[in-house]
Amino acid sequence: MSLVLTTAVRRAAWAGLPAPALVAAAAVLALAVIGAAAPMIAPYDPLDQDLLALNQMPDAVHWLGTDHIGRDVLSRLVMGTRTTLLVGVGGAAAAFAIGAGLGLLALALGRIVEGLVFGAIDVVRAMPGVLLALLLIVALGAGVVPVTIALGISFAPFFAHVARAAYQREMAQDYVTAARMFGGGPLHVLSLHVAPNLVGVLVTQAAIILPRCIVTESVLSFLGLGASPDAPTWGRMVADASRYIEVAPHTILAPVLAIIVLTASLSLLGDHVRQRLDPLRHVRRQSPVEEPTS
Amino acid sequence: MKQSIDIGLRLVKALGQALGIVVLVFFLSRIVPGDTVDMLAAQGDLTESQQQAMRHSLGLDRSAVQQFVSWAAAAAHGDFGESLRFKRPVADMLATALPTTLVFAGLSFLVGVGLAFGLAVGAVMTQSRAITALVDAVNVWSIALPTFCVGVVGILVLSVWLGWLPVLGGMLLPVLIIGIDSAGQMVKPLHEELREAATSAHVRTARAKGVSALRVALVHLLPAALPVALALSGLVLAGLVAGTLTMEVLFGLPGIGSLTLSAIHGRDYPVIQAAIVVIAVALVAINSVIDILHRLIDPRLAT
Repeated sequence: MSLVLTTAVRRAAWAGLPAPALVAAAAVLALAVIGAAAPMIAPYDPLDQDLLALNQMPDAVHWLGTDHIGRDVLSRLVMGTRTTLLVGVGGAAAAFAIGAGLGLLALALGRIVEGLVFGAIDVVRAMPGVLLALLLIVALGAGVVPVTIALGISFAPFFAHVARAAYQREMAQDYVTAARMFGGGPLHVLSLHVAPNLVGVLVTQAAIILPRCIVTESVLSFLGLGASPDAPTWGRMVADASRYIEVAPHTILAPVLAIIVLTASLSLLGDHVRQRLDPLRHVRRQSPVEEPTS
Repeated sequence: MKQSIDIGLRLVKALGQALGIVVLVFFLSRIVPGDTVDMLAAQGDLTESQQQAMRHSLGLDRSAVQQFVSWAAAAAHGDFGESLRFKRPVADMLATALPTTLVFAGLSFLVGVGLAFGLAVGAVMTQSRAITALVDAVNVWSIALPTFCVGVVGILVLSVWLGWLPVLGGMLLPVLIIGIDSAGQMVKPLHEELREAATSAHVRTARAKGVSALRVALVHLLPAALPVALALSGLVLAGLVAGTLTMEVLFGLPGIGSLTLSAIHGRDYPVIQAAIVVIAVALVAINSVIDILHRLIDPRLAT
């Protein structure tokens, strides 16, 4: 078994995927499968309270034990995978759509609109992400959808700025001039000619932002402002467990490990994607700078 | 001349951003359906006319723009109104909480900058593999480990299992956690910058002349890294806000972060507005000071 595994790792490494990235990809894939199939995998209802079995250590009945009101930790962890991934990925996707969409639309509509929209985006960017997300949750209320929207708005400026930089670079290219000379309007040139060339940088940005979205979601849940109490998330599990840390220390390690494995894996993959899609990669590789480890 | 225009423009931009934030915070915290009187009425029994009178005395019967103008004008004089829950002036509550946060954030920042500079300079000066590995380790640590997770596990190991520290209170652990996290965000680019500076001709000349290692580090290497360090510290400060917030809540430190969180859970809107405005505007101010320093040190940045 281990031989098969090492051979597979070597093959992948040979194919250009370094072993750490492969392990990270496997971890993310496994968590995604767990999240997708959560209701089938979870041994119990994550909200069922067994008041006769509070703060139980892991045993054959409850593999990861029970929490302070007798809920099965494993079931909460599994269902939490679903919510955490859903909100994190949803938040990153919303940030992508809002940031890139609004940014590119503003760029295509001329200098005045561009100035106004990017001025507003800079105001949003001047606020630290968590603080803005807190404010948006105050305005929208807690719950899965408001938190996703809050993450989307908080992280949108990163996409808008990347989109602007790439857009300005592309607009100076000959193929854009040619398309304009044939009479293409700004929106036509943008959607048909420029946008396809922006996908690369935007996807790279998404790969970098996704782990940050997931951490922010966990922080918000930890602060008691994440998805609703009915939907367990890893951050909420950490918050609950930290209040009973002295009587039930075992409940804290599972969600903390889950958060660390997911964000570390995603960060590693994001960095890998960034290096692979970096247009200056070949130039940089010749310079004697060693590969970043993270 | 060009530089002073540039700095002036930067200040105008900072003012614009601060104003934008004030507007954003005020109107976002008003989107919530129902006003404070509705909330108080839901808690106790207020008659319709009592509610009317309260709305009038709180100014809630005026238009949103009128309310904003009077709120912003008072806030500019340091008057953020009264807490709905504690019936105390919000400014007093902020003033009580501010020292804790400033001390905590300041100490964390110093630990972070000290650690980052120490490791980066040490790695470049000694060429030691161990210190270089430590640079990478701190960097990976800050990327892979969210601070609140480190905090919870730290409490579990140090307080519950080893019994070294009291579970709550005490800044040592949270300052170390945020300090290491901040160092991790700075240390890698700093190290690269210093390594490049170390190979430059003037450093080689200084070494060949027999200048002491300490003098080379202080006089020749550090100034070269200053622009990068300034740019990075802006980034770290933004991260410090999130870190301070979670650490204050987790370790029970009575700072602005704890105040904001308890205000959010208690729907104490005047406190929420004031706390968020104070944090965000302070950050805009610090960032523009950093930017201006950056431009003074490196005039090429003037556009």
